[in-house]
Amino acid sequence: MTVQTAERPAAVRGGRARPAPDRRLTRHRAVMLLFIAPALIVYVLMVIAPSIQSIQLSLTDWDGINPAYEYVGFANYQDILTSDRFWNATKNTLILGLGSAVVVNAVALGVALMLDKLHHAQGFFRTIVYLPALVSGFIAATIWKYMLNFNFGAVNTVLRDLGFDDAAMDWLGDNDIVVGVLLFIICFTLGGNTTLIYLANLQSVPQDLVEAARIDGASRGQVFRYVTWPMLAGAVTVNMTLMMIAGWTIFDQVMVLTAGGPGFVSETMAFFIYKVGFGEYRAGYGSAAAIVLFIVVLATTVLANKYMRSREVQA
Amino acid sequence: MRNARARSSAGSMPTRGLSRRSLMQSAGGLSIAAAVPFALTACGTSGGTTGGKTAIRFLYATGDETWNSVAKGVADAFNAKSATAIVELEPLPAGTDYPTAMKTMDATGNWPALVDMRDTLTYLEAGKLAPIPASVTDLLNDEVYAPVEDGDVYIVPTTALNGELGFNMVYDKDYFAEHSLAVPTTYAEFIALLDAIKANGDAPLATAAGEIWPSDQLWKPLAAPTFAQYSEAGGFWNAVRAGDASLADLREPLQRLKDITDEYVLEGWQSTQDAQTTTLLVNRQAVMATSSAGIGRLNDVNKVDPDFNAGIFYLPADDGKLNVLKNSVNGDTASGFAISAQAQEDGKQYDAAVEFLEFYFSVEACDLMEETGMIAPNIKASDEVVRNSTIPGAEDYFALLANPSLNWFANETTWAGFSTFHTFFRQARIEMQDGQTTIDECIAKAQEEFDNQAENE
Repeated sequence: MTVQTAERPAAVRGGRARPAPDRRLTRHRAVMLLFIAPALIVYVLMVIAPSIQSIQLSLTDWDGINPAYEYVGFANYQDILTSDRFWNATKNTLILGLGSAVVVNAVALGVALMLDKLHHAQGFFRTIVYLPALVSGFIAATIWKYMLNFNFGAVNTVLRDLGFDDAAMDWLGDNDIVVGVLLFIICFTLGGNTTLIYLANLQSVPQDLVEAARIDGASRGQVFRYVTWPMLAGAVTVNMTLMMIAGWTIFDQVMVLTAGGPGFVSETMAFFIYKVGFGEYRAGYGSAAAIVLFIVVLATTVLANKYMRSREVQA
Repeated sequence: MRNARARSSAGSMPTRGLSRRSLMQSAGGLSIAAAVPFALTACGTSGGTTGGKTAIRFLYATGDETWNSVAKGVADAFNAKSATAIVELEPLPAGTDYPTAMKTMDATGNWPALVDMRDTLTYLEAGKLAPIPASVTDLLNDEVYAPVEDGDVYIVPTTALNGELGFNMVYDKDYFAEHSLAVPTTYAEFIALLDAIKANGDAPLATAAGEIWPSDQLWKPLAAPTFAQYSEAGGFWNAVRAGDASLADLREPLQRLKDITDEYVLEGWQSTQDAQTTTLLVNRQAVMATSSAGIGRLNDVNKVDPDFNAGIFYLPADDGKLNVLKNSVNGDTASGFAISAQAQEDGKQYDAAVEFLEFYFSVEACDLMEETGMIAPNIKASDEVVRNSTIPGAEDYFALLANPSLNWFANETTWAGFSTFHTFFRQARIEMQDGQTTIDECIAKAQEEFDNQAENE
């Protein structure tokens, strides 16, 4: 009805009809779709389609090599959920995911606060803080592997040379500490981006609010607690979410540093999926584990995000 | 801020600055641009030609430096000689376990023409391998290759077929001489030897589990007496599958593995890598080191320190027998050269791979291998090959071959699912050695995994 009303004046004028707004909008949409089509096609082919296919594969006994396979129902899921190895990988993923999110955010906020207060050479120190983030996780892990080698590594050599022989440990081979060492290395590598996001947010806190609080007699701590911290709520949400997702999918550091060992002790979910799917010729089983990981990541991220968003509203 | 808004406005009114036609062309161009990388990727996987020659890739597992040198030396000699083909080396990254690397490569659909093959049955059943022609197998002694059910040969050895005789203890001969120690002839003597070294205040043994697979180096000789009992009956693992044996039968060797690890192995083994054990030995941080490279490891030691007086021995059983695994030349445990089915589809790549194998099994290439420090494969023209007896300690290896206590045994695995279990069992053993689980827990866990895999076959 609306379309007919819009077209009538042009026909009455007898001039060249201008495209109706709806049609123009449709054309614009078509053009926009055409622009995003290449990326969309690649994304669908490379990410969405394989992801959906992994649901199908998770119900099979495919070894990942032989084109022949059989459907096994939910047997893979049953095996996974009753496997100690899987739950150990889940526990490690939670420790590394939540741990790195909390530690990196706390340290990054502290560093960002210090950088914000710097009046000289801020660019230099900002670069220093960000440098580890420029190195790929694989390369950084390889460097750490050499440094932490029990017999020849720099860390133990320095400790022994200083006379602290008992402090020299098998950092990557001692099952009591290996997950903690991984957490340390992951935090070290991932802190740069988080710091910069906090720093950018700190520098956008309105100074008139800070000055008003100070005039009202607020101490430094009170200014941070009641002015700066609420203004950082959005950045905290973004940083925590990004860090948790990075934590859930930690792979390269584990692959390089411990290969999940000694034994299975430092396997994470992402590494577990890779190991069973690729190293143990159990692609069906690995696909089922990937589906479980997806559900865990989705659930925890949504819950954590919901909590942090509610905090933003309160702020 | 103003600039940003202006750019944003321009973006929302495309018809002003850019005609729809030009937009369509741009979008079309982007589509093509997006397609180009795929086209280029597709071109990159085929191997192609280099200077008019057919270029083929040779993927091989690294580990000991001697094998790396042999691969490079033979490939270089072949490339200098061949008028039609060129071999590009593609070593697996150090630290990766073989199945993971192979599966990753397979997932990319980018098989090299030549592969240093493991888990052979898995890939053979999946149709990933091409038959090796008679022009290659005719160069080899008949006992080192065999056709499978379809009558074709799919794997030929890369080195002399001496089973797992290379799973040795490499030791410091000067230390032994200095402390009047002798090479053990029984398991009890071996333990006494470890005790004697420990009593001197030295670390008896360096071993490695950082890459998982080297954990076999200590385990396999310890388990060999048990495995050997089932040799005539088709092998231990097939007996377990048939219900005639169980993982619990490995309790004694597992107990010995645990005891040796706890009492005599140099600290840090959990994160130590295979190649590092050579350094630990040469640095005299340990008196002995485990190895699976035989003469190759002696060659490595010699390269690191030409003055180091190294020797090797094989871990004896209680009765003094040297039980050494030597499976048939087929089966899942068979290893050696394979040509990929992908190369066969290409035709030229297959021909180039065959040409390389014909060169590899020539006297010229075998001489080169011996010179580099590896025992050449068993070719028909072996008499013409110049043997290398200059590597210090090599005489110990040849003496093992002639040792009257040497007892070859077979432990075939005729089902592809064993590869999956094998990887799991290695990790479960490391877990037990490390004290995270008890021997009983390790056995129960491994048995459960074995049953699961057998059931899935």
